[in-house]
Amino acid sequence: MPKIISTHSFRGGTGKSNTTANLAVLVARAGFRVGVIDTDIQSPGIHVLFRLTEQELRRSLNDYLWGKCAIEEAACDVTLRAIGNVEEDADRPRLFIIPSSLKTGEIARILREGYDVARLNDGLQDLLKRLRLDYLFIDTHPGVNEETLLSIAVSDLLILIVRPDQQDFQGTAVAIELARKLDVPEMFVIINKVPSGIDSVALRSQVEAMYQAQVAAILPLSNEMVRNASSDIFTNRYPDHPLTDELVALARRIVAIDPAVTTIIPEQVTS
Amino acid sequence: MSPPATTADEVDLLIGRMKTAAAPVREILREIHARYADNDEGKVADYIPELAKADRRRFGITIATVDGQVIDVGDCSQLFTIQSISKPFVYGLALEDHGLEHVLSKVGVEPTGEAFNSIVLDEKSNRPFNPMVNAGAIATADLVAGRDFPERVSRMLAMFGAYCGRPMYIDNSVFMSERLTGHRNRAIGHLMLNFGMVSDRIQDSLELYFQQCSVLVSCRDLAVMGATLAGGGVNPLTKQRAIQQPYVKYLLSVMHSCGMYDYAGEWAFRVGIPSKSGVGGGIVGVVPGQFGIGIYSPPLDAKGNSVRGILACQELSERFGLHAFESGYSGPVLRDLFSPTRST
Repeated sequence: MPKIISTHSFRGGTGKSNTTANLAVLVARAGFRVGVIDTDIQSPGIHVLFRLTEQELRRSLNDYLWGKCAIEEAACDVTLRAIGNVEEDADRPRLFIIPSSLKTGEIARILREGYDVARLNDGLQDLLKRLRLDYLFIDTHPGVNEETLLSIAVSDLLILIVRPDQQDFQGTAVAIELARKLDVPEMFVIINKVPSGIDSVALRSQVEAMYQAQVAAILPLSNEMVRNASSDIFTNRYPDHPLTDELVALARRIVAIDPAVTTIIPEQVTS
Repeated sequence: MSPPATTADEVDLLIGRMKTAAAPVREILREIHARYADNDEGKVADYIPELAKADRRRFGITIATVDGQVIDVGDCSQLFTIQSISKPFVYGLALEDHGLEHVLSKVGVEPTGEAFNSIVLDEKSNRPFNPMVNAGAIATADLVAGRDFPERVSRMLAMFGAYCGRPMYIDNSVFMSERLTGHRNRAIGHLMLNFGMVSDRIQDSLELYFQQCSVLVSCRDLAVMGATLAGGGVNPLTKQRAIQQPYVKYLLSVMHSCGMYDYAGEWAFRVGIPSKSGVGGGIVGVVPGQFGIGIYSPPLDAKGNSVRGILACQELSERFGLHAFESGYSGPVLRDLFSPTRST
């Protein structure tokens, strides 16, 4: 059965979209059909990492929520640019992005009128079926709102991203409490953008004690990531970087359930 | 997107809504809805022009659980007139007003196998056969208590309001044409008056009957009404009691044996879900202890039951073992699909 993985952070700027995009690429690389849906309708962003231009974004999640199209019509196949070296008609790996609209009017309309969250779930289920996905990553809006909660409610795995920052720590406690109420089966906490010189052992035990949840990774604050400035998929540009190693280890944990997968090897892709 | 929840209750409500939106039963209902949505058989009721105006493509399925989860797929908030689905509920009101024995002495509970508007009366016991045929429903409406006609109408509407958890309204144009063209029902009423089966306020009772048939509901309302009966008479959303618990089984029994017009016997045999249909295109079904099912789809078969409604109920019953007399069932359980289940 396909798996749904939501990534969430309490505030913006945690590196949520970057982490989601990189994990999705790495998991697809392991030979899977993977989708990434941007449910951050208010401040969409994941398309940037895949360098999707406005011309390429013909349909969006917004169009689906308004009943203008089927959800799979909003999917863009980004396999070639994100994974490279894949035969054009190969079934696996495949990577699809389902963006939210970038148009100010369409963002405003969703905020003004709202939508039926059950329809969002119908769309997620349709994506899994119609694109025959093995994994669907959901990049959620920061903070707690209906689409975030719906995403958590349908997820097999929730990835919570925090920075070593008291505001992040406190806010994330709220998300964890709600996730527990929604019976999410598995939770990973990722501490991101950790500056050098921090005692990571102490940090890990502090966070684990606070949330009663396991810290799956401590990712260093990286100059290269900052310089990359969301212009590209980091693990594609820096396949040998220590941060890439950590993300590969995380991606392995996500697909660990599948015995057929032994390795995930990032490689340089120039898009 | 509603504003952030503030109190613990609101959080629980929000969490509940999200769980419902994420429940796998939605996928099942969507699948069933998609399978029958293109079925274009049947004919929209046209004995009065108001009913003929219904859009034959409309199709909604709702399931409401006894603990208040509501799953809607399709046209679930479209209002239509309740028609004959009102009958078991008004029967419940009569039972509360007079008790079982008195009501039984006025209206029997024997299936007829005849069409709903047939003029057959049980002359031996001097009663109409059951409360689901028009004669029995008119005699039942005659039993609704109240000082005067307005009070009887408002008690009837309040009763429906308790089942649906909202104020109820009557479709005035349907009511006017029911009453203008209801010669057959008037004849039945007067015939019963002639036999001493009903009181001499039969004129008012006929008006009450035309009103009860013209109450506006959605298929979501029907599911909640069904869930109220499934939960022993308490509305699962408002927690308000709509009928005393001991009477619920009598409503369900007449729905089971007489609820689907002259298809009732085969329905009880094949589907086994106590149900009532109406010529407006609605069906309410009750799975006791579990949930209510509401369906709306205007095209009717030759017996007056919603074509898509029959097919959808039949599939639900067969796939999930919902037949009342199913025992030793080991297949998939619908109740298990109301909370999010996952691949892991």
